Amino acid sequence: MLVKLIKKGAEADIYTGMWNNSKSIFKIRKIKNYRNSLLDSKIRKQRTIKESQILSQVKSFGIPSPLVYFVNLEKSMIVMQEIPGKSVHDLSESKIVEVSKEIGKLVGLLHKNGVMHGDLTTSNFILFKNNIYMIDFGLSQNTIKPEDHAVDLRLIKEILNSAHAKIMESSWKNFLVGYKSIVGITYQTKIVKLVLDIESRGRYAQVV
Amino acid sequence: MLGLGIESTAHTFSCAIIEKKGKKGKILSDVRKIYRPEAGEGIHPREASRHHIENSSSVLSECLKEANVSVQDLDLISYAAGPGLGPCLRVGAVVARSLSSFYKIPIYPVNHAIGHIELGKLLTGSSDPLVLLVSGGHTMLLSFLDKQWRVFGETLDITLGQLLDQFGRSIGFASPCGKNIEELASTSTNYVSLPYSVKGNDVSFSGLLSATKPISEKSKVDACYSLQETAFAMISETVERALSFTSKKELMIVGGVAANKRLSEMLKDVCKRHGCKFFVVPLQYAGDCGSQICWTGLLESQVKEGVSLKDTFVTQSWRLDSVVVDY
Repeated sequence: MLVKLIKKGAEADIYTGMWNNSKSIFKIRKIKNYRNSLLDSKIRKQRTIKESQILSQVKSFGIPSPLVYFVNLEKSMIVMQEIPGKSVHDLSESKIVEVSKEIGKLVGLLHKNGVMHGDLTTSNFILFKNNIYMIDFGLSQNTIKPEDHAVDLRLIKEILNSAHAKIMESSWKNFLVGYKSIVGITYQTKIVKLVLDIESRGRYAQVV
Repeated sequence: MLGLGIESTAHTFSCAIIEKKGKKGKILSDVRKIYRPEAGEGIHPREASRHHIENSSSVLSECLKEANVSVQDLDLISYAAGPGLGPCLRVGAVVARSLSSFYKIPIYPVNHAIGHIELGKLLTGSSDPLVLLVSGGHTMLLSFLDKQWRVFGETLDITLGQLLDQFGRSIGFASPCGKNIEELASTSTNYVSLPYSVKGNDVSFSGLLSATKPISEKSKVDACYSLQETAFAMISETVERALSFTSKKELMIVGGVAANKRLSEMLKDVCKRHGCKFFVVPLQYAGDCGSQICWTGLLESQVKEGVSLKDTFVTQSWRLDSVVVDY
């Protein structure tokens, strides 16, 4: 049963409600009228399937993430465990710098096990009881391609640079420390180089 | 204060005069001549610069005449120093330098992309927007923080304008093709599945371009419709992501593709969902124009003296997120 809308996210509405007597999150990818309906249903269905699969998969290699209780494909809805913590995006700047290392570790773990998150922003990590939980796997993919992993790193770097500009340097450094501790120096160096490659492809990035 | 702005980054050569009083600006004139390549072809930098050279003096005198202003009345001259095509940029810079040195008028090199944003803010009255800059040169989502425009998401390969132009040319249109594609697209509702590539807050269009071309062999209208629907849905999704992440209460679209009605319609719906105000730069000022350069120059003059002639550079590559905005 839905109780209340807590967030209109980019692609889904997030409600809280009760599921089998426990407080749960209902993530519903609603129809978007501005999109062509074929394209719309394709996107909503694919992402609902992918997200619920990967939410379960990542737990097997130790990434804290919400438990999936129920999936309704017709409604593009996932019912999952509520993580009643605070979004990393809303933490104090010093705290964000501190948790960046743990975030780096989790991302390293994800990549080491052949998964890319696809939407690594600070709002997709929740701090709860000193643990960092990873959420929102709608754009995730099973992939071992270094280029895909680099896309993940580039995104979090872009977010730090645009939304947390003052602490960008220190949190990025901490992130890489955490990431390296899991994937090892060789792989980390390779990915960081690929991130620079992707950045250099940005429009007008290099003087011609 | 009276400013003259000269734009010549790509296909447009334009001069504009704006009168600035306090925070308000009034466009007294904005005259443009646009280089048109033949159907099916893109901008040839040398030909475009030749076009600009041939038209520069008439555009300038028409602009002064229309504003009823003589060169001696001008308080400053600004020109688009980049990003853009080298040969074209040089034409605007040469005109600006000549006027500046002969008449002893302060000169300001201006970033073309910042110009799109500043003019948009002037004309729409938006104050703290998330900006979607969509043109032939840019596809970027930006928000302002601590003296700089920060890139929230952007294209990883070609721009939305290039996607439309390159596809349009492949079916025989002349650049810019956005309007022709929009017209054809509006006659179809038959959606053909195409690659949809959103990577976090970034988009990639090159695969979409390649996949759309063969579809046009069967039906041009379906291809146009499906291309627009897919590309604009990708943009709308990244806009939603950015709005939801930044909690901005305003969205402003600027740049040439802002003229597309279907894109506006989709983004209006996005804004409704997020309870945010929607601003789109007026059609007449969506594309490249002297006003955007002029207004940015006027804004810069609040905090900066003009540069000396030896520092009047042009540069093909100049990212707008590297510009410090302190006015």
